[in-house]
Amino acid sequence: MAGVVLDDLTKRYDGGALAVNKLNIDIKDGEFICFVGPSGCGKTTALRMIAGLEEITSGEIRIGDRVVNNLPPRDRDIAMVFQSYALYPHMSVRDNMAFGLQLRKTPKADIDSAVEAAAKILDLERFLDRKPGQLSGGQRQRVALGRAIVREPSVFLMDEPLSNLDAKLRVQTRAEIARIHTRLEATMIYVTHDQVEAMTMGDRIAVINEGVLQQVGTPKELYETPLNRFVAGFIGSPSMNFIDLAVSNEGGVVTLKGDGSELRPDDTMSALLRDGGLDSVTVGFRPEHLEVGPVTGPGLNVTVNLDVIEFLGNDVLIHGGSGGRDVVAIVDVDNSLKVGDTVVLSASPRRLHVFNPVSLARMIGTG
Amino acid sequence: MSVADPTVDVLPAEPKQDVVPTIGSPVGGGWKSHLGSLLFLLPGAVWLLVIVVYPFIATIVRSLFDGSGTRFIALGNYKAIFSTTDTIVSLKNNVVWVVVFPFLVTFFGLVFAVLTERIRWGTAFKTIVFMPLVFSATAAGLTWASIFFNDPHTGVVNAAVQGVANAVNPPGLYPVDTSAGESVGGLAATGVESGPGGTLQSKSTVTAGGTIELGLTGISPTVLQQNHATTARIPTSSNGAITGLVWRDFSPSHPTERGQVFTDEDGIAGLHVALLSADGSVGAKTTTASDGSFSFAGVGSSAYRIQITANNFQAGFNGIFFLGTQSLTPTSSLNPTLQAILSLPIVDIAMIIAYLWIWAGFAMVVIGAGLAALNREVLEAAQIDGASEWQTLRRVTVPMLRPVLVVVFVTMLINVLKIFDIILNMATPSSQGGASTIALDIYNDFASNNGQGLAAAFAVILFVLVVPAMLMNLKRIRG
Amino acid sequence: MSAVQAASLPAAKVAPARRFRFRPSRIVINVVLAAVAIFWLVPAVGIAIISLRPESAFEQSGWWTVFTAPAQLTFSNYQKLFSAGFQPGGVLDSLTTSLAITIPVTILVTVIASLTAYSLVFGRWRGRTVVFLLIVAMLVLPLQMALIPVASLYNFVGDTTGVKIFGSVVGVIIFHVAFGLPFGIFLMRNFYTGIPHDLLEAGRIDGAGEWTLFRKVVMPLGLPAAASLAIFQFIWVWNDLLVALVFLANNTHETLTLYLYSQTRFLSSNYWIISTGAMISIIVPLIVFFAFQRYFVRGVLAGAVK
Repeated sequence: MAGVVLDDLTKRYDGGALAVNKLNIDIKDGEFICFVGPSGCGKTTALRMIAGLEEITSGEIRIGDRVVNNLPPRDRDIAMVFQSYALYPHMSVRDNMAFGLQLRKTPKADIDSAVEAAAKILDLERFLDRKPGQLSGGQRQRVALGRAIVREPSVFLMDEPLSNLDAKLRVQTRAEIARIHTRLEATMIYVTHDQVEAMTMGDRIAVINEGVLQQVGTPKELYETPLNRFVAGFIGSPSMNFIDLAVSNEGGVVTLKGDGSELRPDDTMSALLRDGGLDSVTVGFRPEHLEVGPVTGPGLNVTVNLDVIEFLGNDVLIHGGSGGRDVVAIVDVDNSLKVGDTVVLSASPRRLHVFNPVSLARMIGTG
Repeated sequence: MSVADPTVDVLPAEPKQDVVPTIGSPVGGGWKSHLGSLLFLLPGAVWLLVIVVYPFIATIVRSLFDGSGTRFIALGNYKAIFSTTDTIVSLKNNVVWVVVFPFLVTFFGLVFAVLTERIRWGTAFKTIVFMPLVFSATAAGLTWASIFFNDPHTGVVNAAVQGVANAVNPPGLYPVDTSAGESVGGLAATGVESGPGGTLQSKSTVTAGGTIELGLTGISPTVLQQNHATTARIPTSSNGAITGLVWRDFSPSHPTERGQVFTDEDGIAGLHVALLSADGSVGAKTTTASDGSFSFAGVGSSAYRIQITANNFQAGFNGIFFLGTQSLTPTSSLNPTLQAILSLPIVDIAMIIAYLWIWAGFAMVVIGAGLAALNREVLEAAQIDGASEWQTLRRVTVPMLRPVLVVVFVTMLINVLKIFDIILNMATPSSQGGASTIALDIYNDFASNNGQGLAAAFAVILFVLVVPAMLMNLKRIRG
Repeated sequence: MSAVQAASLPAAKVAPARRFRFRPSRIVINVVLAAVAIFWLVPAVGIAIISLRPESAFEQSGWWTVFTAPAQLTFSNYQKLFSAGFQPGGVLDSLTTSLAITIPVTILVTVIASLTAYSLVFGRWRGRTVVFLLIVAMLVLPLQMALIPVASLYNFVGDTTGVKIFGSVVGVIIFHVAFGLPFGIFLMRNFYTGIPHDLLEAGRIDGAGEWTLFRKVVMPLGLPAAASLAIFQFIWVWNDLLVALVFLANNTHETLTLYLYSQTRFLSSNYWIISTGAMISIIVPLIVFFAFQRYFVRGVLAGAVK
């Protein structure tokens, strides 16, 4: 087992486009880390560079203590699970899993026991002599996992392994991967565009956008203290609401006002904004943190014209407009709200995130 | 006209729907559309029935009758085919083609397809190799016949072989062509006899201070002129040295007299001579001057013969008859039937090379398309699993390419069974018989007066040979 | 592994962008393929040069010596052949004969194959599967199976109606069309199955008849496949020898392939004629090839069953 360090990792394509821009991530030995971000953000490119399938323009990758930049994939002690499974179509499941070990001239007895063990973990024993073409998608995915497990690599790399599965299988396989991680105590780097997947599976998550690392942290850290507007909006479903509010300082009392909304900051926020010298800020608040009815003390009040009401069972999801913006809230089902109503929704200062409207960075102190 | 990458666009070979589309029969139109689409079938159907289906049956029937078409002889034609040496030769040649060619062409196609992925000028290469498909087998056969010409002056291959052969075995100034019936011994005239190993030697010995005259005949004056020979001159004797003369013992003025050095006889210039001791060992060497004289200085007291060394008579390279039917397998001592079966005409090799030149591009393009369609991630998985380039190729890429390789192999197999044009145009008239194939025999029999029955039988045999491929195609389309 | 480990513990932090995929064998591959390419070009270059050298030069020296004496290249051989004009037995007459056969065959095969394929894919009659499978079976049928009966048929027609088919261009055309149809139908049919039925059903509901549907919907959509077929068929017929030999030998007009063959066999001509004739016979398919390369390759790929 080994940790992986990405040091200023950069990938530039021939046309000049930067796919990955100075990625710095320190992955601990045995950690399950997810690379997450929208399509084309560079997460898969970064993974492939760790695997050795893409050339590195600059920067370093260290697996354990070794710099692996110039090592071919097979010398990096890694295993990879591809989105399309990439199983050898002409080989049986057994041979698919045994292939890597055969190449290393492992004694047959050892190969057999390793394959049997992996098959047992993944419930593939019945299929060992079948070919991939005879298996379902979920079974193929497990073979791909088995192929990786058998090699006992230092690092597991997974490239959106669940995207081709239906919803139910996805949930099942997710749990299985988590179980394997616990059992093997292996370092796993998992790429996905689905933030729910990332949040549920990862010890830590690296959010990447346009090749640049936005934030690395535990799910809780990303959820409670997103460091910039992108992370704030990316993590959490439904996503965070954002409104721009103008800062007004009247005799030392700071208030933020917008069209249909008003924010009375608490002391920390006031202190921050008084010295901040900003005319306006972007305030973010999660749908699940809104309540029906205004707050009188410090906090945010948003006047919303209800548009859509969706019944979720225990909660109600409401959409509305406020000052030209869409606002989404999740509130208790007890409320007798109707479409067309105008309500005031509020959030306490603890639940507010303030961002610099220009740099989009989190303004320290809140939350 | 830009040169496009031939493999970029691949026509979908697999139909997107079932063999008969079952997704709802067309609605609307009524009996008129029913009739209309059936009418569309008519021209094609009629054409095929008249020119393909009916003749197919007619040929089978015809094969059961004799040459004139009137007498029913059942399998008589077939028996004749399998028992005549000539036709056995044809069958054998077909076997040679079938065994050698599809394998070679698929192999080269695979190698080229794999290698062109690694270079930048892949499109240009593919175009060059693919282009000969555009040639008719006739033009290609004629082109390659010119490449394989006998005469090293006009045939590229023989010129190259000659260059190598002459570098390895340089010809002498006075070549003796043993294949034309000449012999070294035949050159001996006066005082000269044959020696071991293709040499000539003096009949008598000579010691220091002596002179010896050696006369040869059968040397062409043109060759002498080429070697700058002048009139023969007997050298003077010299103390402690052996001197002598080698001259052409033929005088135009005294054509029948031998032994005397006439004034109109030429010396033999540039001839390598050596001292031959009594025990057979070869000593000092020298070369004759333009007047044929030579001298060995400081020879001691022994008596020597003069040896005219073998390298003088080394024949130059004459050219290999690539387009002949000389067998590459040693069959000359076998009976005619076995000979017919086992001999391997050299012209077959030449023609196979020519045919490879035409069709390797086809194999390369088809396999290349298959290669491009492979799932890259499987190959990457192999890399990660630890396979080297070669291991990936051998254990993953090629097995995954198996369907494509089979298609190419079978297509070429069928193609080669019918091989015809290239033989007509490449094998020389004398070689046609030894190189003929089934298709050639069909044509020859057809064109002859009474061979129609045989031709029909041969055609049926040809058909039977392609049936396995036919079944394979059908299976592929249905499955 | 330890050797590799030791080798990859450099002090330098920023590794240069060295391509770890560098294989020294890339040079070897380039050299090998370059040699292959040259080998491949030699025959064509050779025959071209032979045709461009004066008649006398052929016996004296090999064509490869032309690189040391380029001045000897001349078009005189071509001039000589062309000067015979369009007399039968000349190269120009053979050129026109080849065209007179190839063009009609190409058009006929393309049209009839399209019609037949339409019927097989969009038709509403039973037995389409059987017919298609028969077509597939016919794909590999050697045309030798049909030579004798068709020749007899031609003679029969000639004797009874006085219309000369055997020994005329018409006979050749008829035969070539017949044996071009299976492949043509196969190609067009495979392409047509990709056209959604909905298009035609909408047309039928609108009242269009089959002919209109064919002309205005299916054929335009099928143009790429038809182009591939036409080009492939063109080159195939242009290069044929056997059919011409059987049905046109001793005729006043020969195809180019026949012309070349008879120069070799019956007239034992010198290679200045043969090479020049060969070059002329190659020019047309070469132009077609380079102009429509993509279509030709498509046809070849689809024709991997032929």
